[in-house]
Amino acid sequence: MSRERAASVDVSALPSAAFGHRAITWWGTLGFMTAEGLTLVVCVVAYIYVQRNFPRWPPPGTLLPSITIPLIQLAVMLLSIPAMAWTSRAARRLDLRGARVGMVLSGIFAVAFCVLRWFEFRALNTRWDSTAYGSAAWAVLVAHSTLLVTQVFESSTMAAILYLGPVEPKHFGDVDDSCLYWYFLTGGWILLSLLVFFSPRLHQ
Amino acid sequence: MAGGPGGHETQVGLVAAAGWLQSALRPAGPDATRIYGLWVFMLWISAAVLLVVIGALLYGTFRRRRSRPDSDQQHTRQRRMTRAVATGAGVTVVILFAFLVFDFSVGRALGAPRRSGFEIELVGHRWWWEVRYLAPALPARVTTANEIHIPAGAPVLVRLKSNDVIHSLWVPDLTGKRDLIPGKRTSLWLQADTPGVYRGQCAEFCGQQHAKMALLVVADTRAGFDQWYASQLAPSAVPTDSVTMQGRQVFLTYACALCHTVRGTPAAASLGPDLTHLASRRTIGAGALDNNRGNLAGWILDAQSIKPGVDMPPNHLEPDEAQALLAYLETLK
Amino acid sequence: MTATASGQAPASLRHALHETWADRPGLIGWLMSVDHKSIGKRYVITAFAFFLLGGLEAAVMRMQLARPENHVVGPDLYDQLFTMHGTTMMFLFAVPVMTAMGLYLVPLMIGSRDVAFPRLNAYGYYAYLIGGLFLYTGFFLGSGPDAGWFAYTPLSGPEFGIGKRMDIWAQTVTFTEIAGIIAAIEIIVTVFKQRAPGMSLNRMPLFVWSMLVMAFMILFAMPWIAVDSQFLAMDRLMQTQFFNQAEGGDALLWQHLFWFFGHPEVYIIFIPALGYVSTIISTFTRREVFGYPAMVGALIVTGFLGFALWVHHMFVTSIPQIGESFFTAASAMIAIPTGVQFFCWIATIWEGRPRFQTPFLFMLGFFLVFIIGGLSGVMVASVPFDSQVHDTFFIVAHLHYVLIGGAVFPLWGAFYYWFPKFTGRMLGETLGRWNFALFFIGVNVAFFPMHLLGLHGMPRRVYTYIAETGWGSLNLLATLGAVTIAISVIVFLVNVARTLAARPNAPDDPWETSSTLEWAVSSPPPPYNFAELPVVEGRYALWDRSAVQPVVTGLRTDQRELLITTLLDAEPDHRHRTPEPTIWPLLAALATGTTFIALVYTPWAMVIGAVLIAAPLVAWGWPRPRPGDPIVAGGAS
Repeated sequence: MSRERAASVDVSALPSAAFGHRAITWWGTLGFMTAEGLTLVVCVVAYIYVQRNFPRWPPPGTLLPSITIPLIQLAVMLLSIPAMAWTSRAARRLDLRGARVGMVLSGIFAVAFCVLRWFEFRALNTRWDSTAYGSAAWAVLVAHSTLLVTQVFESSTMAAILYLGPVEPKHFGDVDDSCLYWYFLTGGWILLSLLVFFSPRLHQ
Repeated sequence: MAGGPGGHETQVGLVAAAGWLQSALRPAGPDATRIYGLWVFMLWISAAVLLVVIGALLYGTFRRRRSRPDSDQQHTRQRRMTRAVATGAGVTVVILFAFLVFDFSVGRALGAPRRSGFEIELVGHRWWWEVRYLAPALPARVTTANEIHIPAGAPVLVRLKSNDVIHSLWVPDLTGKRDLIPGKRTSLWLQADTPGVYRGQCAEFCGQQHAKMALLVVADTRAGFDQWYASQLAPSAVPTDSVTMQGRQVFLTYACALCHTVRGTPAAASLGPDLTHLASRRTIGAGALDNNRGNLAGWILDAQSIKPGVDMPPNHLEPDEAQALLAYLETLK
Repeated sequence: MTATASGQAPASLRHALHETWADRPGLIGWLMSVDHKSIGKRYVITAFAFFLLGGLEAAVMRMQLARPENHVVGPDLYDQLFTMHGTTMMFLFAVPVMTAMGLYLVPLMIGSRDVAFPRLNAYGYYAYLIGGLFLYTGFFLGSGPDAGWFAYTPLSGPEFGIGKRMDIWAQTVTFTEIAGIIAAIEIIVTVFKQRAPGMSLNRMPLFVWSMLVMAFMILFAMPWIAVDSQFLAMDRLMQTQFFNQAEGGDALLWQHLFWFFGHPEVYIIFIPALGYVSTIISTFTRREVFGYPAMVGALIVTGFLGFALWVHHMFVTSIPQIGESFFTAASAMIAIPTGVQFFCWIATIWEGRPRFQTPFLFMLGFFLVFIIGGLSGVMVASVPFDSQVHDTFFIVAHLHYVLIGGAVFPLWGAFYYWFPKFTGRMLGETLGRWNFALFFIGVNVAFFPMHLLGLHGMPRRVYTYIAETGWGSLNLLATLGAVTIAISVIVFLVNVARTLAARPNAPDDPWETSSTLEWAVSSPPPPYNFAELPVVEGRYALWDRSAVQPVVTGLRTDQRELLITTLLDAEPDHRHRTPEPTIWPLLAALATGTTFIALVYTPWAMVIGAVLIAAPLVAWGWPRPRPGDPIVAGGAS
């Protein structure tokens, strides 16, 4: 037998926390992003699938979605991305102050998204029960809004832990993961927003 | 249940040939015959594959083993095994390729364009079939239920529609099935080689009485078909005696006329089957019962006990009213 | 053979680990448990209970169909029975039992102390349990779903689906699929990051590979049905128009979304079973499984192809011919990787020295039964042939041959094989043989005649048929087969009861020729799994290890620590502090369950639920460091 023989391993000197793809929480976050991303994809599939049942898009008698609020939402989201990139770097430096500021900032941004989202629903100019077009457009927004609400919860809880609770090294990893999730949340919305608010104009 | 006047041999309007009322293994039309050929091919290939694989497994399991081979022998055996597995995979690919070629050729033949003398529109309802013969290829529109009459030997295009849930038209002796989907246009070619009666049944679950949603395809000679069509074109028979006159009165004053049409009378509703020529049909309740006086009486008085959930309500008629109604309905040839 | 890893470790070490990892005593300790073995066992038992319920439903249906025009049950109850049977077997039995086996065995097989997210794991189990109980509560109160497990619209929609039946179904499905997604993420992350040093990807047991592929399939398939059933629920509750053709919706949209999940679902059930087969065959032939790279490749290819077949469930809805050809070819192609695996197993058995104990008998049953289902599977890939047999008893026969042959036989073998590991007791061999023989005969007698019934025109989902159809005698035969299956299940239950009443008798490896790491620890395993994590030296960890097993030292014993290793080569990377037992996952699952149940009645449940769920989630995640934990800042302690 020419199998190489392994020796025992002492791991006591290894670190007790890690960032990025080394950490299991990062992989867990990625897993949930995949599942949640697919729920958005299903809504998009529904939106595109029902299009072929209408002679016009949006359907006759339905106004085009307004785009002022969605544009503001997009601008705020783009603005938030560098802020979260900064937070991520602070977390990886184990900079507690930076992480605290970053999480508060993300909480404020997330609340702002939700407020703007309220007006985005109205900007659709259609109801969920009007036609399949309305249902699908609302579904896209509702599906993404549940993620926004989750993010408000996540950001405020993380900020509370960083200010009030005992902070452990792993919490910097959590802050870092929450930045990863942020890119998914905002980047995903840019695509969804283009589809729901802007693409109907291309059909005119 | 004794047969009524002109009673049929079985409960469902036709004789079960070779023990089966409907069967894909007894093809009676060109499409079913092609599919049957494909089935026979696949069956033999599968039987051969099954025998070889199970044989190899059982031999490999129970074969007598000699003492442990040394490492040199092991090497050659490893090579032999690798070759065997690779061969198996290769043969699998070849068989699948042959299967695909045969399958696509049958698929193309089934999809080949044909010319239809006329078209039939079949509307699925919970739980019966509305059959409309579309003019103009025929002299005028005819509407009937649960029975499709076609001339034997000629392809007929059946356009499939549903206004409630999804149904599926399946007449296994003639061809494979096709769904009736609300909001979608689908169609199916029906063609029988020889005159005969072929039974079909709804094949997509459509609610409580999915089990009792059958229909008959009656293939006739061209002359026979034309004769049948002419008789269906005629309005309903006019009552000639007091009993049938009373029967028509019962029909028009009780709930019947709220759902059914009898052409030539004021009854013109379309929630239930058109009854203009009810007595010419072989079954009632979409193949639930043989069409005779006893069954018809049971159906009219309490359809719910025969086909629970059906739209037909129970009717409370005095005995003489019931007799008169039945007498009238029996005149609707 | 050397002493086992657990045997080598000093008693003081084991005592310290026990203090750190054991559940708290009593009922509250039981409810707080986050041990993957406790959760996994509960999952298996719950799934098996649902299997028995689904089996009872099938038994009643077989009684009804035993004779023409029978009156055991009426159409309304019959429709509920087959819907519950399908829903139970697919959503509440097959997938959960497969993930449960993974959640129990994967950490042991890869040499870790728990799954990646133990609290989330507990939450997933309770979510599944609550979802299943809710569905059955509805059923026993007369609100069982009645539109089939496939719930085609418009039959399941607001116009035709009466009462709250399908609303309960839709919410149950979404809720239990969330549990499935959680289990998938657990398995993926655990396999990726927690393998013992030395277990590089190319040394991973085939069982773990199959669990990994299954988990990825769940992750990519389940969201489709979760959202699809929410569309249905919203159509029914809030008058959305997704499936209403009058307002531009589409009945076929439901079918596409459903089968895009529904076909992979079959492979989600089948692929882990392949892992059981490889493991059991290698143990009982004392051979390495022939062609490891081919086996792994076949699993992955099957996983991908599983997503390219969904339209073959819709061949009779009028699909364009080019589409038909693609899906036919893809469906036929999946026979290639399955064939390769078959040939490799046969080669393994051929070269090995089979030992005919009950688990191995079930493997032989798997071969004989599954191959028939596989062959009829290729047949129905043909569009013309499928147009005859689609929605007939031929398909009922085919799918039961595939699922019982491909999943239940291996699963049953796996029960017999791992039962001593789960409980410390060997199941009785004599009753095991009876169990196998009756099951094998019963399955074939019950389902083989159904091929013929379908070809002779019997559609599925009919509650009765007339005598003239000629279907009576074959149906009676099928019912006799079902009775035989029932007897075999009773034999199994008796076997389990007798075994559990006996004293523990199983050593670490009662089969003596096992190769995977779970057999290196006691039966049942201690709460911490491994006193010292092993260092893995080959694909067959117990066969390839040195005389003195190299181990990992330096993990803390006073805290719950996992060793995190690198993705490809499993080199030690860092130590991960994993959380203590807690009650909050249970409370969070109750809050989520309440939300989903309320969603049956009002959309506002979304809003109320968000508040309701938030509280237990904060408590769940709030840090409660133990003495000795590194603290960066803050905290009253």
